[in-house]
Amino acid sequence: MEEKTNKNPEIIGFACSFCTFKASEMAGSLRMKYPDGVKLVQVPCSSRVDPAFVIKAILEGADGAFVAGCHPGDCHFIKGNYYTRRKIAALKEMFDAFSMKDKLKLFWVSAAEARRFVEKVTGMYDEIKEKKNAGKKA
Amino acid sequence: MKTGIFICHCGHNIKHTIDVKKLSQYFKKYPNVTVSEDYPFVCSEPGQDMIRESIEKQGLDRVLIASCTPSLHGDLFKDLLKKSDLNPFLLRRVSIREHCSWVGDDLEINTEKARRLILAGLYSAAHYVPLEEKVVEVTKSALIVGGGVSGLSAAAFLSKMGMQVYLVEKEAELGGHVRALKNIWPARKDGKEIIDEMVAELAGRKNVEIFTSTTISAFEGFFGNYEVTLATPEGEKKMTAGGVIVAIGFAPFDPIVKPELNYGKDERIITTLEFEERADTLQLPENPRIAILHCVGSRDEQIGKPYCSRVCCINALRVGEAVKNKCKDSYVESFYMDVRAHPRGGEEYFEDTQEKGVLFTRANVAEITPTPAGLVIRGEDTLFGEFFEREFDLVVLSIGMSPPIDNKLMATLFKITLDKDKFFLEAHIKLRPFDTAVKGIFIAGSCSGPKDVEESINHGRASAVKLFGFLNLGYAFVDPFISSVDPKRCSGCRMCETACVAKAIKFDEAKRVVHVEEAACMGCGLCNSTCPSSAISLKGSIDMMIDDEISALTEAI
Ligand SMILES: Cc1cc2nc3c(=O)[nH]c(=O)nc-3n(C[C@H](O)[C@H](O)[C@H](O)COP(=O)(O)OP(=O)(O)OC[C@H]3O[C@@H](n4cnc5c(N)ncnc54)[C@H](O)[C@@H]3O)c2cc1C
Ligand code: SF4
Ligand code: SF4
Repeated sequence: MEEKTNKNPEIIGFACSFCTFKASEMAGSLRMKYPDGVKLVQVPCSSRVDPAFVIKAILEGADGAFVAGCHPGDCHFIKGNYYTRRKIAALKEMFDAFSMKDKLKLFWVSAAEARRFVEKVTGMYDEIKEKKNAGKKA
Repeated sequence: MKTGIFICHCGHNIKHTIDVKKLSQYFKKYPNVTVSEDYPFVCSEPGQDMIRESIEKQGLDRVLIASCTPSLHGDLFKDLLKKSDLNPFLLRRVSIREHCSWVGDDLEINTEKARRLILAGLYSAAHYVPLEEKVVEVTKSALIVGGGVSGLSAAAFLSKMGMQVYLVEKEAELGGHVRALKNIWPARKDGKEIIDEMVAELAGRKNVEIFTSTTISAFEGFFGNYEVTLATPEGEKKMTAGGVIVAIGFAPFDPIVKPELNYGKDERIITTLEFEERADTLQLPENPRIAILHCVGSRDEQIGKPYCSRVCCINALRVGEAVKNKCKDSYVESFYMDVRAHPRGGEEYFEDTQEKGVLFTRANVAEITPTPAGLVIRGEDTLFGEFFEREFDLVVLSIGMSPPIDNKLMATLFKITLDKDKFFLEAHIKLRPFDTAVKGIFIAGSCSGPKDVEESINHGRASAVKLFGFLNLGYAFVDPFISSVDPKRCSGCRMCETACVAKAIKFDEAKRVVHVEEAACMGCGLCNSTCPSSAISLKGSIDMMIDDEISALTEAI
């Protein structure tokens, strides 16, 4: 709560209530550890995620953002995640143009895949952390 | 705005790694926060009383509970608000247990993360408005998929309560695996007897329709009124079902997967299931030497079956007992990892079997080699640390329970998630063990993991009770999280209409704007993120809520 001198990445994840958010609940219940920099926003479906949310998160200082939903074919809302895939693909191209490709990821994580959730978010975190501190290495 | 923040200790679960006192103090001075308290268990009765009292005395108009994850205790806290005459949708839950205190170990770091999570909830909740629960008419009928003991037990309960039941079985006969079992433990009855009793109960009821040799060909619609299409031998049949119980059972493990056992290559190597069928006709020498292998297809990481199948130790005991009963002087040796005689009376049964003369050797079996003289088992005795080699006339493999063959098919059809072992995943292992993530769709029996007959029957009945509770009134409440259009902003571009999977958006030719058919809207929010004019928004998850949540998390506010 004091002045924070945080060199660790801050990542905002948009997690679908039916799969990834559930996986994150399970990860917690199983006491799996992942960096505190990863914070979730719960959404009813990955298709609810407006690309503007992702851009907003980055503009406001997040080091990365991810959108996570059910595996293709498994969407609770039939095919919301196909729309997500298209939207995020377009957004990725834009991020790429600004050399920010690593700041955005799309994951498919089912409700059962607590371990996959932890691996995905930790992987993204580590990658960003390495880049973030690359210039500072002796 | 008068917000009450209640931070739960969850005993030690949260308090241990989050400084709850510091947080409750911190939020006390926040604008729009009238109450900020921490409490050992907010879900306990005194905890609930404290919240109610605060709502009523302080006139709170927002309640934020920072505790376990929102999918737990949802109705409990909603009801609490209702009892205090506060709209239940003015409640915000923030998960500081599953998403914070259990995720990291450092008190300071966790406290800071929890602070931001609560802040995000606070900012989001500022945009909450009272919502009315949506009432939907539901059809008092249930589709039950699978006619094993679990499906039959669900059908028996629901039909007895007057509900219309459609029972669909893929095979020509009802009964599932139990039908073929002899002398089922611990009932000591033949499976056929148990099944015949259950089927007889259903046969007399007018409100039960049984479809054998039938599969589901299509499934659509929503809770309360699912549209089902069946492929029956007489052709296609359509019906409406209020809810579904999926009870498609298990598949017996196929030992071919383990080539070292030489199963399928020698008739003297059989499974427990084959033993049931052939016990009386087996060609064996006078005092046969019989080996029983436990855990075939269970507790075996190498073949991707790390779980215990729960019934195979008992089955192994049943085989040993059956052989000894028939031929006292036979040599029966059971090779086990450790004996897990799960159910009540199991340990005593294990002792009885030992007394009957069945030998138990703790062992890792490496291979079975068929020779004309006999089947040679090589392995390691893990108690003595010695290798052994012994010859038998018959080897019985106590096979485990694998996921049902149609698991993927059914998972896609009904939107059920598969767990890591590919059985159906329940909504919550302890608190919602019968539900799936989809409202009105339940799972029952061994399709959600290995279960014995008693457990399968109980599971079936419990799912039936829950479904009955959902449908009994003829109407049900569903969350009002649906989209609505601001006609002043709508440009009439119809992009949302094209996107909406549920076809819930209709265009008004005269007014040149769209509107949402509330009954059809699924609440996904796809239209909300598609509309270029910000004219359509999803209740309970509007742009401003998410925007402010992001800002709070990134500390831009
Ligand atoms: C060798 C062996 C011995 C056992 N001995 C005992 C014992 O002594 N005591 C005990 O308590 N338990 C015993 N069990 C366990 C017992 O068999 C199970 O507990 C029980 O069968 C589970 O019932 P179920 O209804 O969940 O599944 P099942 O019995 O598998 O029934 C599922 C039904 O669903 C049908 N189905 C599958 N797919 C579809 C589909 N797509 N559409 C429509 N229908 C479908 C199947 O045809 C089947 O009829 C034993 C198991 C084995 C393998
Ligand atoms: S996308 Fe927006 S502006 Fe276009 S029709 Fe739908 S609500 Fe109206
Ligand atoms: S929320 Fe989903 S189902 Fe409802 S109108 Fe929008 S796109 Fe259609």
